[in-house]
Amino acid sequence: MTVITQERPKKEIKISWKKIFLFIAIILVLLFCLAPVLWQLLTSFKVNEDISAVPTVYFPTRFTLAHYIELFDRRPFLRYIFNSAFVSITSTLLALAIGAPAAYTLARLNIRGERPILASVLIVTLFPGILLFLGLLEIIQKLGLANNYLALIIPYTAINLPLTILVLRSFFEQLPKDLEDAAKVDGYNTWQMLIQILLPMTVPALVTTGILTFIAAWNEFIFALTFMTQENMKTIPVAAAQLGGASAFEIPYGPIAAATVLGTLPLVLLVLFFQRKIVQGLTAGAVKG
Amino acid sequence: MFYIQPLNRLRKFFHNLGFWRSTGIFTALFLSIILLIKIAIAQQPVTLNLLMTAPDADPWRQGLVKDFESKNPGIRINIIEGPNATNLIEDLYTSAFILGDSPYDLVNMDVIWTSKFAAAGWLLDLTNRMTPQELAAFSPKDVEGGTYEGKLYRIPLRSDAGMLYYREDLLKQVGLKPPETFEQLMNISKYLQRNDKVRWGYIWQGRQYEGLVAMFMEVLEGFGGFWVNPDTLEVGLDRPETLKAIAFLQNTVKQGVSPPGVTTYQEEETRRIFQSGQAVFLRSWPYVWPLANQKSSKINGKIGIKPMVHAPGQSSAACLGGWGLGISKSTKHPQEAWKAIKYFSSREAQRQFILKAGYVPSRRELFTDPEIVAKYPHFPQLLKVVDSAVLRPPIAQYAQTSDILQRYLSAALTGRMTPENAMKSAADETRRLLKAGQAKKPA
Amino acid sequence: MTKLDTIKSREQRTGWILILPALILLLFVYGYPIARALWLSLFTQNLGTELKPVFSGLDNYIRMAGDGRFWQSFWITSVFTVVAVLLELLLGLGIALVLNERFRGRSLVRTAAIIPWALPTALIALAWAWIFNDQFGIVNDILLRLGLIKTGINWLGDPNLAMVSVIIADVWKTTPFISILLLAGLQSISPDLYEAHAIDGATPWQSFYKITLPLLMPQILIALLFRFAQSFGVFDLISVMTGGGPGGATEVVSLYIYATVMRYLDFGYGSALVVVTFLLLILAVAIASFLLSKIRKRLSGVA
Repeated sequence: MTVITQERPKKEIKISWKKIFLFIAIILVLLFCLAPVLWQLLTSFKVNEDISAVPTVYFPTRFTLAHYIELFDRRPFLRYIFNSAFVSITSTLLALAIGAPAAYTLARLNIRGERPILASVLIVTLFPGILLFLGLLEIIQKLGLANNYLALIIPYTAINLPLTILVLRSFFEQLPKDLEDAAKVDGYNTWQMLIQILLPMTVPALVTTGILTFIAAWNEFIFALTFMTQENMKTIPVAAAQLGGASAFEIPYGPIAAATVLGTLPLVLLVLFFQRKIVQGLTAGAVKG
Repeated sequence: MFYIQPLNRLRKFFHNLGFWRSTGIFTALFLSIILLIKIAIAQQPVTLNLLMTAPDADPWRQGLVKDFESKNPGIRINIIEGPNATNLIEDLYTSAFILGDSPYDLVNMDVIWTSKFAAAGWLLDLTNRMTPQELAAFSPKDVEGGTYEGKLYRIPLRSDAGMLYYREDLLKQVGLKPPETFEQLMNISKYLQRNDKVRWGYIWQGRQYEGLVAMFMEVLEGFGGFWVNPDTLEVGLDRPETLKAIAFLQNTVKQGVSPPGVTTYQEEETRRIFQSGQAVFLRSWPYVWPLANQKSSKINGKIGIKPMVHAPGQSSAACLGGWGLGISKSTKHPQEAWKAIKYFSSREAQRQFILKAGYVPSRRELFTDPEIVAKYPHFPQLLKVVDSAVLRPPIAQYAQTSDILQRYLSAALTGRMTPENAMKSAADETRRLLKAGQAKKPA
Repeated sequence: MTKLDTIKSREQRTGWILILPALILLLFVYGYPIARALWLSLFTQNLGTELKPVFSGLDNYIRMAGDGRFWQSFWITSVFTVVAVLLELLLGLGIALVLNERFRGRSLVRTAAIIPWALPTALIALAWAWIFNDQFGIVNDILLRLGLIKTGINWLGDPNLAMVSVIIADVWKTTPFISILLLAGLQSISPDLYEAHAIDGATPWQSFYKITLPLLMPQILIALLFRFAQSFGVFDLISVMTGGGPGGATEVVSLYIYATVMRYLDFGYGSALVVVTFLLLILAVAIASFLLSKIRKRLSGVA
């Protein structure tokens, strides 16, 4: 993107050219990444006439909260938010609780069959939900888990496990092994060592992984669409996708935009606060796996 | 950690109480809560859940539901607003039923869902709830549309049928009668177009969606063909009548009677063209009438309706649509649900609803009811259309069957395949689909 | 010697205890559905059989061979995947190069660059459907103002344009993922390499071509593999934006599977579709990991 084909000797000009290119590139990147979201944000505050105005209104003079109010008024939107949050947080905690020990085993303890286990963990990270929903649907039918939080918590925990294991394994492998040896010399057994020495050190890695799993669980669509049919059990992405308008040929753009903003806000905040951790986690999970 | 301290205190409290005593307290508390909940539930009115498209919800709430609830204080109807597209409503009902914990007590069904829901075993058999005399008051095709393998599952509330709209004023100007056959329709169109009376002749829905097969049913039956015989599961798509029907539709575009974009139109696009005065004929549903006769409409008071045209020696066919109510098999309140259906489909309730919301009734006598005719003068004519109604094949696998025809019909109409090849493939796929199910039906 | 053995076996036991819950859950949620689909694909279970399974051997697979809609959806999925992933790779590489430069506010720009990846796809699909709206959409408005078009384009209503629209939305949503991975790769390349190369008189383009690209290959392949699998199974984006329409022009395999099961209740045939998709995915993974190991070997040989 910043390739320069200038002659060699004109060094000063070259540098300023490069700077200009870089500047333009940065602006383009920002525009590319933020414009669609900002447009939705703006739409959510526009009055209906401005939303459906031709030509498009870019700088509205009137703002309204009506679309947000409508969401909470006509639908149990608070409930959707709670559902999303509850399911995501619970499955994140479970994924960490189950994934961290497994990651430790794969990093440190030499069990038989380690390689095939690791390979299958790697492969299942690539499975899309469409391959699983039919089998899970049957399980949920048989166990009577329809419209029950468990119907989402169990699959979400599972689909987040591979990533959790991979990220935490790469973390454990970076820890100096001396530490554990020293603990053993001091008379700790494996369990004590794990809980009293290793766990406190793992907290930052757990946070990193937790953010990733939370995002994945919050964003999940196909299971939430299939396993929750009761209105008050739906999660935000599904509920927003199913918003209907007041007439057959009118799509409620305003409320949809407001729903988008509400559903994405928690994640935008997460990204703002934990940008570094997210990048670390993603690269650890994908590249080093 | 602000919650730890009270938690500790609580733990200490129970510790001091001793194990048995605290268990006793817990049990007592638990039991009394359950008792309270039971009492509360018993006193609460029964709530019946019903899902429908968002635009329908308000007329229902203000009309039918309000009246019913005031007459039946023990029953509440909770209308859940779904998306606007009816196929999404079908999907919501379907996934709720598949999952096994359906939140819906009443099922608001399009006529083409009945066989699927009934075959899947999701609906309560209503056969013995209505006497044949009671049923005779409804349009026979509407009742047939609610029947699957001889049993009744759905009581019709709203009827709907495809028909031909025409510009009475233009036909009068040139002294012609409305067409009876496909050929007449083409000739009148061309004549009016040649004389610069109008831009387009005939407008129909050609986009690949359910409306395409609804429209095609009428042309196909008008040429004497058939799609799927529901009793024998015979498929008629590769017969010569089908190809004639396709040829007619293709010719409307080739000969300039219909705009080339017609193969991308749904109901609304076609209505807009017709309502702006740009076409003589339109094939559409009853909902067009009030809109086209609005004050602001360019063709206000200038249109007529009649049953669809047909080939000489054949008869008109109107594709039947419409809505009705069934009862979910998993409901805990079948009695109350039936009470609601009985009321919604009653003569008086329908009358009020029609006068208020303008829907087409399912009871025949209402088409000629003086008060209704005074408000909707086209209803007697509409009755003729409804009486010529034909059902899309009422088979369990209708959705799949329809999607196959939609794909290949659209391919033929847009020229991506020759009609012969397209219909051959459609017929083969349909046969394979229906055979896969039928041959191995458990005894 | 014996003491070491007991330590080892104790370690084994602890290891298994620690990993067992994870394995059980993975088997339950990943293993069972796949195995179940394999089994069920040998049965006819649909509305024709009143939802009861009837053994029918390979009938479902034979039906699939003659099912025009399956092949069409397979073709659409392939086009979507190849075009989207290639665009994402190019764009992602560009963004990664920009983010790798030193400038003030870099951290903020990096934060902004992750945002699309973090947001729920279903909601993003709603946002893009609004952007591409035929009457009030901003894309049409911009094109009209620039004088590139005379009347609004019905983006989601035209078969080809609908495909273009969903690809653009997908590129927007997932390019950040690629650029994050590639950025990590770029950061691990030592600057000394470039300096040495520059002293030799290489242009920036040459050093990009000679150093950056080869050393970035592992990351590129991993990113490609991830994105390939995800986009082959794409569901929420297209389901919300176009529902597979118009007329099936954007119906990818996963939408067809979902409709077969949840709309047609054709469980046996749906299972067969799941099995075939699964096998294709495994095949792709095998090819990619073969390439990856080959490249890794070559790189370690060079270094």
